[in-house]
Amino acid sequence: MTATLETPEPVEVAVPVRPKTFLRGKGLVGLVLVGLVIAAGLIGPLLVSWDPYEQIPGANLLGPSGTHLLGTDDLNRDILARLLAGIRVDLLIGFTAVPFGALLGCAIGALATVNNVLDVAVQRLFDVLLAFPQLILAIGLAAVIGPGTTSVVIVIVCVEVPIFGRLLRTAVLRVRESQFVTASEVIGAGKAHVLRHHVLPNSLEPALVQLALSLSVAVFIEGAMSVLGIGVSPPHPSIGAVLTTSLRYLDLNPLFAIGPLVVTAVLVLGFQLIAQATNAARGA
Amino acid sequence: MNPPSRRQALKAAAAAVLLLAATACQSAVDAQTSPAGPAAAPKQGGVAEIGVNLDLVPANLFTNSNVSITTVVGLVYDTLVRYDNKTLEPKPRVATEWKQSDGGKTVTLKLRTDVKYHSGRTLTSADVKFALGNYADPKWNGQLISTAKTITAIDTPAPDQVVLHLEHPVSNLFDLLDTVPLVDSETAADIATGKKLIGTGAFKFDSWRPNTDLTFSKNPAYWGGAPYLDGVHVRVIPDAQSLAAAVKSGQVHLARGVGYRDAEALASTPGLKVTSLEGAELQAYVGLNVTAPGLEDPKVRQAIAYALDKERIIKEVFRDKGYPVSLPWPRTSPAYDQELDSRYKHDVTKAKALLAESGKQLPEIPLTYVGNDQVFTAIAQIIQNNLAEVGIKVALTPVDSTGFVKQLIGAQFPGLWTTNHSWAQFSPATLTVSAYPFNARRNASKYSSPAYTTAADNAWKLQSVTGPEATAAYKELSTQLLDGAFLAEIGVVFEQAVTRDALQGFEWSRRREPDFSKAFVA
Repeated sequence: MTATLETPEPVEVAVPVRPKTFLRGKGLVGLVLVGLVIAAGLIGPLLVSWDPYEQIPGANLLGPSGTHLLGTDDLNRDILARLLAGIRVDLLIGFTAVPFGALLGCAIGALATVNNVLDVAVQRLFDVLLAFPQLILAIGLAAVIGPGTTSVVIVIVCVEVPIFGRLLRTAVLRVRESQFVTASEVIGAGKAHVLRHHVLPNSLEPALVQLALSLSVAVFIEGAMSVLGIGVSPPHPSIGAVLTTSLRYLDLNPLFAIGPLVVTAVLVLGFQLIAQATNAARGA
Repeated sequence: MNPPSRRQALKAAAAAVLLLAATACQSAVDAQTSPAGPAAAPKQGGVAEIGVNLDLVPANLFTNSNVSITTVVGLVYDTLVRYDNKTLEPKPRVATEWKQSDGGKTVTLKLRTDVKYHSGRTLTSADVKFALGNYADPKWNGQLISTAKTITAIDTPAPDQVVLHLEHPVSNLFDLLDTVPLVDSETAADIATGKKLIGTGAFKFDSWRPNTDLTFSKNPAYWGGAPYLDGVHVRVIPDAQSLAAAVKSGQVHLARGVGYRDAEALASTPGLKVTSLEGAELQAYVGLNVTAPGLEDPKVRQAIAYALDKERIIKEVFRDKGYPVSLPWPRTSPAYDQELDSRYKHDVTKAKALLAESGKQLPEIPLTYVGNDQVFTAIAQIIQNNLAEVGIKVALTPVDSTGFVKQLIGAQFPGLWTTNHSWAQFSPATLTVSAYPFNARRNASKYSSPAYTTAADNAWKLQSVTGPEATAAYKELSTQLLDGAFLAEIGVVFEQAVTRDALQGFEWSRRREPDFSKAFVA
């Protein structure tokens, strides 16, 4: 007679085994693309001899040349210099507004799980914010506080708060029912301890994936607001502002538009690939 | 011979369909691009499609001169007289004759008897009395209100006779009579809401869908003869590129509000014509709030006038559709003086010297402009750059157009502003006693000077806009404007109207009001 051993049920652990795939394939490509744009933004302006604000006498709407690689705009400024300076502005907006929106959203989402009444109120608020199309929200906010970089940052924060809030709430609700959380509670851990040491660390992974996605959305929002004339105020450059100006002179200089379009596409694609790779790496 | 297979038959059918489609498309393109020729015979019927970049604001019907308002006024309303676009000689319209007496203090007008409102009612002298009185009502913010208020009494001895009694003679009375729309007294209350716009013009107002379109139908009983067109359809197309594309593709026959660069590009497109609205000049300018820190000093204001690179703005922004000036007067104005007009030429050294003489430490000065206006967004950035060259720091403050007009009327600009003005194409006095930026008694710059007020009054109280007395008065007025420097003129510019060859007979007034009474679609 042979005895059969029952296969034990897998024990849910706090931190799942992560496939080491992030730095291969999509993740690597994404990092390289974003890294290239960041490098262009950081180093590029040092390599271009023109000031992005300088209105060069007589250089009105010039085509690409050795002196001006992408040509000049309607106000006689070097397009390449403005594009490179614009990358800095976009990255600054993205890396400020998105993390701030994420932090705020996560904090609200986590707090909402503590109390049912608060949870319902917060969820309805998120419903209202999510129901607004992003650009309508942008136009409304710009009408109230005026166009400019601050408006762009506030719009991105407003767009990100409900996304991160809802994401974290869902993760917290799922994780707090896990066996390791129950085990921690059984051995006498306090609510705050459980939340800080077990629930939150294991709920943040989806938010990290969303962070990369949101950075790409931020680039899109800045561009869209600039096209609508409510983005970064002149004379400051941004990718969206350069693109908006270029659209008016496509017949004269198509390369004018290609520059900002390529940068936007590379940046958005890079962030999307990073998000996908992060998602794959966490085994989702 | 084998019969064709099913596959061959399908291929042949597809080829035939493609051929037909291509032919149809070509015909459609041909129909849109075939020029009607410069002298096509007038043709009855059809609807003229107009594209405008701004929507109607009915409450500003008597205040503003944006493309929608001037289009509506030009189609629906008549005025008593009409200047031609070359001289300031009034020509008959609803008024057929006029006589000035009592040293210019009494004006008797004879009216046409065949003028009917779109409601069917015949226009009488009582309607003219109502229209002039209504224009003087402060609620409309009519810019010629000061001239309207010099009319102390209006007698209507006969249905076709009006007698105006003036407080004092004014040189710009006919500017008022050319400007005031003869509104219908029975429906005037509905003007501000845009519900009913009833006039005596060649076209009747049918409907207005905000931010979408306005429709007008022909007035068969028009005193000047029924128009050829059955109607006019005005589409609101806020995006300048879309507006240019609409006229290029034939969706509209006339586009108003196309950017200067787009107009330049469209001028070389077959089937399109770009017309500078000559006689209806506009002036681009920089306004200065003389109570703002630093700007109270005339030397600083003059330095700003010298710092502006007007030639560059005219060339690069207005694509040479205008000319730089130091004074508001166009070259056709009786007040134009070439010597005086050449005072503020771009001179960075002179500007720096004046600032040094002033010795003031200037704070950052805000420059307000309409943020969604591409032309003035570009001009604002050039001004910022020009002033930076002489050491004046400027902060750009874009606002929406409604907010801008509110600040202009309420004299609320915190520092500098840039936009355009009109009225200098009329009698010179009209500008300095009426227009918000110039009005000697209350202007957007908060500038007041007894000498300027006296010069403006003297020019206003002339009996004629020409002659040695008028020339001397205008010279003094121009000197006051140059010395006060509360406005720095950039240049006289012309609105660019882009029309398809198919639309013929389109005319315009000095206020850029289109006249479609003799227009037709060929």
